[in-house]
Amino acid sequence: METPLFLEERSLVKRYSGPWPLLINTLFIAVLFYISWWIFQDPRGIMRMYTPFEGYMWCRWLLVIMIWIAYVFDFWPFSRTWLKNTHPVLKGVIFTTLTVVLFTVLLKGFFETVLGELAIAYFSPRRLTELGLIEFYAIEYSAQAILMFAAIASWLSPAWVVAAENAPWQNLKQPVKGFTVLMFTFFLSFIVYFVAFHSHMAILFDPWQEFTAITPPWWESFADTVHGNFNIAWIMCCTVIVWMHETIWERYPFSMIERPWLRRTASFMGIIAIAVALSFFLYYAQELAWGEAIRGTRRDESPDWRWLHVGELAIFWLVPTLFMHFYLNNGVNRFSKPTNILFRTLISIAAAVVLYYVYYKTAHLFLGTQKGFSHPQQFPMVPMIWLVNVMLVNYWFMDGWPGWRLSREGEVVKTAHGVHEKSVLTPAFYRGVIGGTLGGVVFYFALVYLLPAMTNALRIY
Amino acid sequence: MRCAFTKKEAIMPTTQTQGRREFLKGAATGLGLGTLSAMGIFSYSPMRAFFLPEAERKMADFGTCKSVKVTNISETSWFDNSILMGDIKGAGGLLVNQYDYNWAPFGDGSGLAKGSYERGIAKIKHLLPNHLEEAWEIIKTNSVNPDNAGGFAALVEIESLEGKKTKYLLDSGWSYAWMDECFKREGIDKMLQNNEIEALIISHEHFDHFWGLPVTMKYAPNIKIIIPEGFYKEGLQYIKDSGHTGEVVVAKKGRNDWEPGFCTYTFDVPIICRVFGEQSLFVNVQDKGLVSITGCCHQGIIKFADTAYKELKYDNDQMYGLYGGLHISPFEDWDPKYDDLVISLGKWDFQKVGCNHCTGLLTAQKFIRAGYPVVEGTAQHRSKSKAYLGNGDIITFG
Repeated sequence: METPLFLEERSLVKRYSGPWPLLINTLFIAVLFYISWWIFQDPRGIMRMYTPFEGYMWCRWLLVIMIWIAYVFDFWPFSRTWLKNTHPVLKGVIFTTLTVVLFTVLLKGFFETVLGELAIAYFSPRRLTELGLIEFYAIEYSAQAILMFAAIASWLSPAWVVAAENAPWQNLKQPVKGFTVLMFTFFLSFIVYFVAFHSHMAILFDPWQEFTAITPPWWESFADTVHGNFNIAWIMCCTVIVWMHETIWERYPFSMIERPWLRRTASFMGIIAIAVALSFFLYYAQELAWGEAIRGTRRDESPDWRWLHVGELAIFWLVPTLFMHFYLNNGVNRFSKPTNILFRTLISIAAAVVLYYVYYKTAHLFLGTQKGFSHPQQFPMVPMIWLVNVMLVNYWFMDGWPGWRLSREGEVVKTAHGVHEKSVLTPAFYRGVIGGTLGGVVFYFALVYLLPAMTNALRIY
Repeated sequence: MRCAFTKKEAIMPTTQTQGRREFLKGAATGLGLGTLSAMGIFSYSPMRAFFLPEAERKMADFGTCKSVKVTNISETSWFDNSILMGDIKGAGGLLVNQYDYNWAPFGDGSGLAKGSYERGIAKIKHLLPNHLEEAWEIIKTNSVNPDNAGGFAALVEIESLEGKKTKYLLDSGWSYAWMDECFKREGIDKMLQNNEIEALIISHEHFDHFWGLPVTMKYAPNIKIIIPEGFYKEGLQYIKDSGHTGEVVVAKKGRNDWEPGFCTYTFDVPIICRVFGEQSLFVNVQDKGLVSITGCCHQGIIKFADTAYKELKYDNDQMYGLYGGLHISPFEDWDPKYDDLVISLGKWDFQKVGCNHCTGLLTAQKFIRAGYPVVEGTAQHRSKSKAYLGNGDIITFG
């Protein structure tokens, strides 16, 4: 039998009645985010890692390691008793420190030494500097390659847990299960990395490294750019859709499939299909808002930046989604599951639009980022993922402290779930699907028609 | 275990309410399915062009001139890339406010990344603009790597259809010592003293284009200065602190006409080291076409050209000439998006290209390899390569 994850098994209860837990945790997260941003990332702060790629690499990899700890290894080697009885703040400190230490070992030991010194030079800043690159760019290039690997891992690692349900290793015990899934997803990540990003890295150097990589890359004519941001777009969307699937979508509609292999395959492939569709739409949305991309431009008109911005837009959607899941118990629970999901999705999209608007209007005033949309050093993914990391530390590692706590043995926990439904399909349901699908197509074209006017009304710059 | 989608004996609703509820569940599911399907099938298909607005050319007529001559006073903004990037890295990267670096002339002796405009200017303000040698000595003792500072400046001479020549100074460089030397070498000092130069056009607020302002003020403190919209308060204060007594014109976003056949265009572009906004020059040369002249072109050369295509009317509808820093690989870094530029520049059909400064030597070499009409220079006065139109070199369009 598969053991449920600690995160699935635990029940959190509010420490205070009314809106106080929500308000307290929102404040706590905001303070933690800003202090840690100032210390580690802010260009005006102490360590100034937002260069941007070095800081971006760190925040992407910290996210991946946190996923490994909580989802892949299910907090092994820490026992359930320890997890239940240790103060949340102490747990937060220990697991966050562990996350940083693990990435330091991975960065210095695996990427920069094993890969960078023995296999592929661009993983090692030292080698790149020795080959004549300025140290700053040697670090940035190397960080770019390492973070691209993280982008893939942050999609595949959770996807194998929540979509593929750890199959075929779901019944193994920890740490065997953790190491197996880790090795397998690492292997998959390597394949995707070489197909999606190795060519990008190869054309960073002159002449193009055509004997070691496919140059120009295979996606050039389709994506209208030789830049790897084309792959960043759909991979970031995969990362975001995995968490939609796991949180506010409650694994629906794939959870309706009863046959396990089919459900797992459909979930895993479905996430990719949805992500690709989303990435195409977000690219199109930019064309509708700003006009067609022009190859060779540097900024918000260039195809490569538009593809990058697809990923950024997706991340703006992830932040309110996770917030709604963690601190608002998914927000809407009073209707049937599909209706709840529909409302949650619409609310999270509206919240993402607000976040996007506020971010670009104000971020340069307090985060030290550059004003405008498309400066090469303007990476909203960094502060957004940093914020996600802070939320994960709070929710996964600290059990939602200070607003929430773990339930005690025997304590009855009130949870707001939708009406329990059997996953059986009636003729009325099918009629609804047909009508809804037609409605969805109409909705899409209405959105496409209205988007230029809507984006004009919300014009930031 | 069976898949519910294949189940044949579906449970029928017993009441109308249940039926409606089932229908709504299906409708909610279908709404997502339909929307996502349409997104995937239509959004990146050729059919999407149906909803995209037609690109309309405004063809604004800003007149015509006979020719334009550009003298490169200095394109070497700094002399050693590794020193500059070492400073930038040490200070925290490319987003750190340029006034905080403790670079010349605003060094206060407190070290890299600990500077400020107020503390830096306080040490030299009393010496500006007439005692620059003395000021530079103080600057050298207080600033980080002052000998690495150079600067960008060019003299742009517009010849009208009637034969009248008007001179504009594009930018004023960075190092007081270097820029004064360059001004004297090209005779700019005398032109300024004789009020032969109509205006100083500052392309943008960056250190290497703007911080050498007192050198221009030394010779012509009353010269009209044209800056782009987006200057920060430190920059505006520096114009006053440099001893300027003339008019300051803020060129608003978009086109600003100065004389027949000559306009500037301000782009609200975010730039590294906390700078915002840049203006570049368009000149319409009779029977030839459009000449584009830039300081750094942070907006990107294709964006610059595309703006002209959409906004302006020019002779023969021809992109004729290009001069200046094209800001592609200024620190000899690289990114695949620059390859996109190298690949696509050919579509714009420029007839004469003089590039230097922040273009990047690698980019210039890739342009030459791609067969573009790059006018090579003489590699003198500390310019590094003939692929650049270097210091002291002249290019004429028309």
